[in-house]
Amino acid sequence: MFFKLVFKNVTKSMRDYTIYFLTLLFGVCLFYMFNSIDAQTSLLKLSEDRRDLSQTLIRTMDYISVFISVVLGFLVVYANGFLMKRRKHELGVYMVLGMPKSKIPILITLETFLIGMVSLAAGLVLGVFASQGMSVVTARLFEADMTSFRFIFSQSAFRKTLLYFGIIFLVVILFNVLSVSRVKLISLLNAGRKNQKFHIRRLWVSVLVFLLSVACLAAAYRMVIKSGLSSSTPWFTASIVLGCAGTLLFFLSLSGLLLRAVQSNRKLYFRNLNMFVLRQFHSKINTTFVSVSVICLMLFFTISALSVGIGVSGSLSADLKETTPFDASLEYFYHAYDADKQIRSLAQQLKNDGIDLDRYAERCGQVTCYVLTNGKENNIGIGSLMCKDDAGQLPEEQMDAMPLTVISLSDCNRLLSLQGKPPVSLGKSQYAVFCNYQKLMPLYNRFLRRGGSFSYGGKTPVPARDTILEEALLDMSTKSNSGTLIVPDSFLRLPGVEIESEILNIQYRQDVSDAEFLQVLDHVYTKEARARHAVSRPYDYYNTKVGLYRRASGNAAIGSYLTLYVGLVFLIAAAAVLALQQLSEASDNTERYGLLRRLGAEDTMVNHALFLQIALYFLLPLLLAVVHSAVGIHVATSELNLSGLDVRQSSFITAIIILVVYGAYFLATYFGSKNMIRQKEIYRR
Amino acid sequence: MEPILKVEHMEKYYGSRGSVTKAVDDISFEVRAGEFVGIMGASGSGKTTLLNCLSTIDAVTAGHIYLEERDITCLKSGQLSAFRRRKLGFIFQDFNLLDTLTAYENIALALTIVRTPASEIDVRVRQVAKELEIGDILEKYPYEISGGQKQRVACARAIVTKPTLILADEPTGALDSKSSRMLLESLETLNKNLLATILMVTHDAFTASYCRRILFLRDGKIFNEIVRGDNTRKQFFSRIIEVQTLLGGDNSNVL
Repeated sequence: MFFKLVFKNVTKSMRDYTIYFLTLLFGVCLFYMFNSIDAQTSLLKLSEDRRDLSQTLIRTMDYISVFISVVLGFLVVYANGFLMKRRKHELGVYMVLGMPKSKIPILITLETFLIGMVSLAAGLVLGVFASQGMSVVTARLFEADMTSFRFIFSQSAFRKTLLYFGIIFLVVILFNVLSVSRVKLISLLNAGRKNQKFHIRRLWVSVLVFLLSVACLAAAYRMVIKSGLSSSTPWFTASIVLGCAGTLLFFLSLSGLLLRAVQSNRKLYFRNLNMFVLRQFHSKINTTFVSVSVICLMLFFTISALSVGIGVSGSLSADLKETTPFDASLEYFYHAYDADKQIRSLAQQLKNDGIDLDRYAERCGQVTCYVLTNGKENNIGIGSLMCKDDAGQLPEEQMDAMPLTVISLSDCNRLLSLQGKPPVSLGKSQYAVFCNYQKLMPLYNRFLRRGGSFSYGGKTPVPARDTILEEALLDMSTKSNSGTLIVPDSFLRLPGVEIESEILNIQYRQDVSDAEFLQVLDHVYTKEARARHAVSRPYDYYNTKVGLYRRASGNAAIGSYLTLYVGLVFLIAAAAVLALQQLSEASDNTERYGLLRRLGAEDTMVNHALFLQIALYFLLPLLLAVVHSAVGIHVATSELNLSGLDVRQSSFITAIIILVVYGAYFLATYFGSKNMIRQKEIYRR
Repeated sequence: MEPILKVEHMEKYYGSRGSVTKAVDDISFEVRAGEFVGIMGASGSGKTTLLNCLSTIDAVTAGHIYLEERDITCLKSGQLSAFRRRKLGFIFQDFNLLDTLTAYENIALALTIVRTPASEIDVRVRQVAKELEIGDILEKYPYEISGGQKQRVACARAIVTKPTLILADEPTGALDSKSSRMLLESLETLNKNLLATILMVTHDAFTASYCRRILFLRDGKIFNEIVRGDNTRKQFFSRIIEVQTLLGGDNSNVL
């Protein structure tokens, strides 16, 4: 009999709380899907660097999954609390009928366990099937061909899902047992009744709070647009704090303002059940404005993350074209133990090790980098090429002490001609500056325009041109040349000028591929050979154009995968919380809607009112989130500075995802609420 | 005067074959315009079933109910709510005011449901509030006013749409004696001044003594009917008690 009761309750709950189960189902399904990437990629034929990339993705997914499971855990506990609240009366009846108090926690435990098992099993089945579809996307992401379809089952994802959700359900059971065993019978039976007071704020208070919220939001938008996403400035943090506060105040004041605004238009206020709907909305917002604000911020995160995240995968850094002017670059740093700090020819050393560059390179050019020391081993910093009062504008503190790299005019012109660019000419006591680090460029330019000079070794060269040259010394992933000084060759013979590093830039021959060249390097300088000190590489690291492009696109792909994962979970969590809140409200409000019917309101009128009420709850946080996101996306795209980043397309995809998931929850909530109202009505008859 | 409500051989059975409960068993009566009729009876006598059928919340098993010569037992479900909101006003035992709305808005709600133009709403709400002496609490919420005031707001809501018939289900059931008296006097005023037709269900003799005519129900049948006529309320009250004694005495014989 006891178990029969458990089974009956579970099947009844399944029907009544469809949304709860759907959310559990989706949660489990998503969790499995994204954690099964290891199995999905293990079947793909991946190139070496893609293999590394997939490993990074799997590792990152591990960490993210912990975070996600915490989010889902909170969601499940919250949703379950709602379910329990609705069942308190039922539990009270069991106790009145003589069920011993000790048995009720057992009943609840069994029920929760059963519900957990069912949703876990269903979610896993759904997840296994969905991951088949996802593996196609994964294959495309890693640029691997899906040669043949194979059914994929990830044991590790399976175990992980079982473990994480097992823990979540354990916590839920604990919560339930605690909440049931502590409660008194009378409060169980009277759980349906409640006494709520409605505090109506004065109009001017609402208006004031609303204006304050708009001011907060406007200030937050302005700050973040002006300062960008760099967390090093206090403006970014301030904009986040202001944004959150503004959102809270917005929802705190909105219902009151809306109510008063519509009230002032009597025609609108007294049309249909508008009055009723607005009052309903207003009466609840006082208790729900915090959760609505949180939901709004979650939606904001989802929308901007999805829009930017999906967009990023299809685009590459626009900078990459400018930061990779060569097919390959090798760099060697002189060490303290390099006794003879003489210029070494990297090409010659490669040749000694059996690599004839002429066979691979159309052209190549070596650049030697120096630093200026003033005797006491103190390097001359980049600050010496800037106006004194500009030091405060540097992106980081004490950046002006960063050593200034110096190259000779002849190296400089070799570098430029390798790129097919016109050479630079300098007078005997003149200098020029290379820089492509965005934030430092204006500082150098100001110095150059003023004809600023510096003195070193008894010389005070003056600028040859009044602007810097936006050049990189070698292939890099970002524009990070923070300043290179170009001086006549003779300048470098001054005492105190120390050699720092060698850079060899290479342009391949037409018939040589990147892979071919790197293979030769790897073949000669194998790890074992280097470990045995049989060979030593004449360079410390290399960057190649192809490699940098691949790495960038791979990182973008990982980023978009992760944002999709987190974004979807957030979206589901936000929608589910809203839906559950509305459903609990509809059950609380059944009597109110029933009364409307008894007063003779038509079904269409009542349904319309219900629709409007739920739509208000779903739409308002979404609307503000869209406004937030518009600003967020604007800032993010201008910050990322990516070419081919088409946010319009990805925003469109995001809109569809939101529409489908959020819309589904909205409709489920509406029809669920409608059923609840209707059921009660039938029961009354 | 023409009867505005005519109940003919109305029957309402519950249950299925084998065990049929006759909640209302072949009842016929009439209510004329401007009457204040009470229906009394013990628990289970069929009062509430009768009221539910009259208010179209429940359907009859057999018989006819005519309101202004229209047979409401033949109405389709779509017409039912239209009928309910145009012709009937309700007063419930537990007030059934919406706690989210002010007194004013609770009264106005009934008007918005029948799609009264906004310009008319204010005039009518204030007029009926004045009649029921609740003009000064219109801007308050239900939780801020007393039970008696709540019930008078509910009365105002019932009368404001100018229904043909007001159905009151134990309106004093949740009130103390002072509030009950005030409410009943209000109902009397509505009946006399605004010529509202009221059908009130109660089991309380004191409450019933405010009516002009009382129907006594027992086991689904009309057992007795008394008319106040020129009696004072006190005299009428005594007569009600007499009938109730008779009803009770008879009951013990039946059992």
